[in-house]
Amino acid sequence: MLAWIRAVASRVRVWLSPGRADSEFAQELEEHLTMLTEENVKRGMGTEEAARAARIRLGGVTQLSETNREMQGLPVLETFLQDTRYALRMLRENPGFTAVVVLTLGLGIGANTAIFSVVYAVLLKPLPYAEPQQLFNVFEIQPEEGVKGTGWSYANFAELRASNQIFSEIAGNQQHQLTLTGRGEPTVVNTAVVTPEVFSLLGEKPIAGRTFLPEEGKPGAPAVVILGEKLWRSSFGADGNIIGSTIALDKRACTVVGIMPAGFRFPAISEDEQIWIPLAQDPLFGSWMDRRSGHWLRVTGRLKPGISMAQAQGELDALGARLAKEFPAENRGWAIRMVPLQEMMVGDVRVALLALLGSVGLVLLIACANIANLLLARATSRAREIAVRTALGAGRGRIVRQLLSETTVLGLLGGLVGIALAYWGVQALGSLPTASVPRASEIRVDRLVLGFALVLSVLASCGFGLAPALFAANSDLQSSLREGGGRSGESARRRRARNFLAGGEIALAVVLLVAAGLLLRSFANLMAVHPGFEVKHVVKASVSLPRFQYSTPQRWIAFSDELLARIQTQPGMRDSAMAVPLPIADGFINLAFDIPGNPPLSAGTSRTADFVSASPDYFRVMGIPLLAGRFFNAHDNLAAPRVTVISQTMAQMYFPNQDPLGKRLKFGFPFENVGEREIVGIAGDVRDVALGEDSKPMMYVPFDQAPFWGGNVVVKSTLSLSSIASAIRNEVRRIDKDLPVTDIAAMPGLVDASVAQARFRTFLLALFAGLALVLAATGIFGVISYSVSCRTNEIGIRVALGASSGSILGGVFRETLMLALAGVAIGLPCALAASHLIGHLLFGVSAYDPATLGAVALSLAAVAAIAGYVPARRAMRVDPMLALRHE
Amino acid sequence: MGGSRAEILQGTLDLMVLKTLAGMGPLHGYGIARRIEQISDEALQINQGTIYASLVRLMQKGWITGAWGTSENNRKAKFYSITKSGRKRLQAEAENWERIAAVVGRVLRAAERG
Repeated sequence: MLAWIRAVASRVRVWLSPGRADSEFAQELEEHLTMLTEENVKRGMGTEEAARAARIRLGGVTQLSETNREMQGLPVLETFLQDTRYALRMLRENPGFTAVVVLTLGLGIGANTAIFSVVYAVLLKPLPYAEPQQLFNVFEIQPEEGVKGTGWSYANFAELRASNQIFSEIAGNQQHQLTLTGRGEPTVVNTAVVTPEVFSLLGEKPIAGRTFLPEEGKPGAPAVVILGEKLWRSSFGADGNIIGSTIALDKRACTVVGIMPAGFRFPAISEDEQIWIPLAQDPLFGSWMDRRSGHWLRVTGRLKPGISMAQAQGELDALGARLAKEFPAENRGWAIRMVPLQEMMVGDVRVALLALLGSVGLVLLIACANIANLLLARATSRAREIAVRTALGAGRGRIVRQLLSETTVLGLLGGLVGIALAYWGVQALGSLPTASVPRASEIRVDRLVLGFALVLSVLASCGFGLAPALFAANSDLQSSLREGGGRSGESARRRRARNFLAGGEIALAVVLLVAAGLLLRSFANLMAVHPGFEVKHVVKASVSLPRFQYSTPQRWIAFSDELLARIQTQPGMRDSAMAVPLPIADGFINLAFDIPGNPPLSAGTSRTADFVSASPDYFRVMGIPLLAGRFFNAHDNLAAPRVTVISQTMAQMYFPNQDPLGKRLKFGFPFENVGEREIVGIAGDVRDVALGEDSKPMMYVPFDQAPFWGGNVVVKSTLSLSSIASAIRNEVRRIDKDLPVTDIAAMPGLVDASVAQARFRTFLLALFAGLALVLAATGIFGVISYSVSCRTNEIGIRVALGASSGSILGGVFRETLMLALAGVAIGLPCALAASHLIGHLLFGVSAYDPATLGAVALSLAAVAAIAGYVPARRAMRVDPMLALRHE
Repeated sequence: MGGSRAEILQGTLDLMVLKTLAGMGPLHGYGIARRIEQISDEALQINQGTIYASLVRLMQKGWITGAWGTSENNRKAKFYSITKSGRKRLQAEAENWERIAAVVGRVLRAAERG
């Protein structure tokens, strides 16, 4: 081993100062010759004969020096450098060719690198917690009602925590917004509401102070809070003495016990201004801790080492069965599931991202096929140069190596352009406010992404360089030398390779175009959906009341009534209302209900509907039509009989063939105000979850009979957003100067933002498909025009023999169409398979949509025809005299 | 296959060069070549240039060193001498070589008798 290292070291030393070693060796050989000659003279030879014999005895001096240089230097490196220099010279001499290849490749690599940086940050990079692969989200599902995944009631969570054998640590969390006052302007802070174990679960230490103690998780414990470093710096000036002092959250004094580092984010991984409070301290969730109904607590556990997922799932199944048996009223029909935390956080972005990565991969393949085609064409015209080099003694391996160095240099140049494009692309992605992907803040071009780009460029250059290089090295020496320009004869084998590449490009383009077409149609369908409400000129703003100050529902009602009365007297703001939650912009509240008098439900089923608490004018402001009965009015208050308005879907689903008006509903929310409600009206359906999801059954109740601690003010007005915003702010401040108004936004923008992800992926995929189409078109153009220029001679003869220009045109056209048809024929089945994979990104269009498939096939044929037309025209105009003289 | 034969031959020449330097002390390339020819009673007529490839190989492995000096007739010449690790190597290789030679000899004798 040591000897080997020494050998390499000596080679490097010699390689660094080659001249010296050479001249020393020359001197040594000369000495040797002199001594041999002298001896020969001593033996009686003549001077000249002695010198000649000496040279024979020693061997060829040039050859010896060459061997010596090869042995002492680094021949592989030397050839490589030589090849690289030569390659750079060749590329400089063909600037057009170089620019086309480098740009094509740069686009391909850039797009791939940019998308990979997203895929890496979102899907691949481990979560920033200790041993993140052990973390799982544990949740409840209700298969029969299609509830796919939801949280726990605290009571059920307590059972899980008490009986747990499979998790080394387990913790619950929720999120909430609290108002921070006493530090300048009142602000709303993102609050993680957690059980105390969450910090040890994630293995994170505070930078100051401590995390929560177990007893601080119990109701009645003193109020404590942990600040995030970022908030500590921005709102508290990085006050070093803050531990132990109190801050006012929702008008309640909380003692700061610790500060978590800025990098620690949980449960939302992209929120950076956070605080944490124990569940028991939260004004909302804290009051729900003693209830077994409701599914709101998100639970994360760390699986004990050595326990398999199947084992864990078995334990969870047993617990689920026990809960359903012991507490059938709340837990019947529910089951417990677990998924890796990372998968949970990424959600359904995975399919879209993988589809995007796949499509940029295809774009790169097309780009490579294009470049390979260019190189093949060039190799044909370079055949003579290569033949000369072979004739001069260059081995086949040497020629392949030289051509591969050329393509590698091209590949690396393309990679450089690609990395520059990727930097730009990632920046562009980051500045898109609509690019709503989880962990978006972590997307960057880091070392790993750069490595990916590098590997990709080397792989790509091997991909597009190998075939042309092998073809070139295999070319028949004699015929190449004889052929002069090497222009007229392209071997059938090589032509097949070129046709294969062009056909392949078309096939890949078909796949991309079909996918893009389907996504575009889905998006158009999505945008054409009428949500059931009219959001033009509607602005919303949120107000949240501190629950320790506004402690009773009566105070919430009083606040809301006063605020609406004040706002409605402002000029131009007559149409104002209050509601919780707003469709699409907010989450939805799905509640179980009973219809008194109806038979009890069979085991494992229940009736649910989405719940909205709204002030009387809400329907008018949102443009939701009344189909029967009446909407709410000012008399529907706590003193009056309880009423509700249901949606059309709810009427049809739960009151088929009956008149629902006058019938009664009963549901357990709000907790303070449970009782039967009379149905007084039927409203039009609203898509409350998302534009792409069918309208759910919905039930509305008057805000004054089911108030919340604040809510959304919605105003329909032609005034500007900023004047509406300042009017709302002023009125809120007149009632209570410590109340912040947040989330002021135009409703159309919010509805638009809800489809941002769909728009984003549709836009990107369409972009890639467009790129693929352009590349494929240039590919066809290249192949056809090359084939025409190779056959100038033949065409000339045919014209001279009387072929009409139409038949020449037809011939070239036929060639083009055959290529395009072959590509489409191969591409369509692949496209069907691919669109099946993105099936659940589609909306209102089948994965096998014949219209899209037909349109893609036709447009590709059309593009191919156009790409083939230019060279075909040229063929038609061939002057037989010129063509025949061409040789 | 051709490669492995060349290796044996190269190895043999390297071994002879090492042995020569071990026995004679520092020598220049011409001296080594002459000495090998003399010892073999001129039976081994080597292309003297090949000695230099052998010398480069041995130098790179650190078994010999080379230094410029003055020859018998007062000319500048590069003298090679064996190093400590070279001696160790020579001993190992020589034993190895003798063992092979002995085995080959036994096989040949056995074949004669058979």
